[in-house]
Amino acid sequence: MLILSRKSGESIVIDGRIHVKIVRVEGDVVKVGIGAPVDVPVHRQEVYDEIQRSNRQALTRPRKLSGLPKLAGGTTKAHPLAGRATNTAKKVVLPGK
Amino acid sequence: MKCAEMIESETPKVSAVAQANNEVRLPMGILGFEQIKDYVLLVNPEEEPFAWLQVKANASLAFVVVDPFLVMPNYQPDIPEADVEFLGLRNTSDALLLNIVTIHGPHRATINLKGPIVINRHTHIGKQIIIANAVDYSVQHPLPVAGSIE
Repeated sequence: MLILSRKSGESIVIDGRIHVKIVRVEGDVVKVGIGAPVDVPVHRQEVYDEIQRSNRQALTRPRKLSGLPKLAGGTTKAHPLAGRATNTAKKVVLPGK
Repeated sequence: MKCAEMIESETPKVSAVAQANNEVRLPMGILGFEQIKDYVLLVNPEEEPFAWLQVKANASLAFVVVDPFLVMPNYQPDIPEADVEFLGLRNTSDALLLNIVTIHGPHRATINLKGPIVINRHTHIGKQIIIANAVDYSVQHPLPVAGSIE
């Protein structure tokens, strides 16, 4: 692994299109700014690992599953891509909306 | 289209042949399964609100998914701007959210609230995103399963 020393305000450029800037250093916390094209996903390692682990656990072989559990209490029926769209995503927060 | 038309009632639900318009493409795959990009969304009315996001090339592999707002009315995922751009979302109503459910047993199921699959309803292109407010949510949030002792 390449190890570089950087001061606050200095940057690193990767592949001419990914910019990593050390924004601020406070004690043992380093604030890092990352500029990358939209097709380059950037994630905190621990959250990424957690989701990846959960996905692996969630993948099922449907034929071996006797059935899905029933949820307690009622839920509204809705089916999204099949024409009964209900715009349930009202609470999604989009930037600048 | 009615769901009943998509699925033959007597055959195993997930092996039913889906209509082309229930196909979903995830160009970046699902985290941990980056190479699998094509899925089919299958719904059996008896199993709602759960649905199956089945691997198109392998009918024996699927994720159980659920519309999070049906089970978590207060869920407020904050979708990063880069993902909004990537998916071409103009309004919140363009987005369909499906969150992956882990079935731990007949009486325990959890939902991943940190990493919803966001699908553009018009293009059927989606991505498993990590919400900007992931710190507020769990990857294994318990669902209120009937008969659960929790």
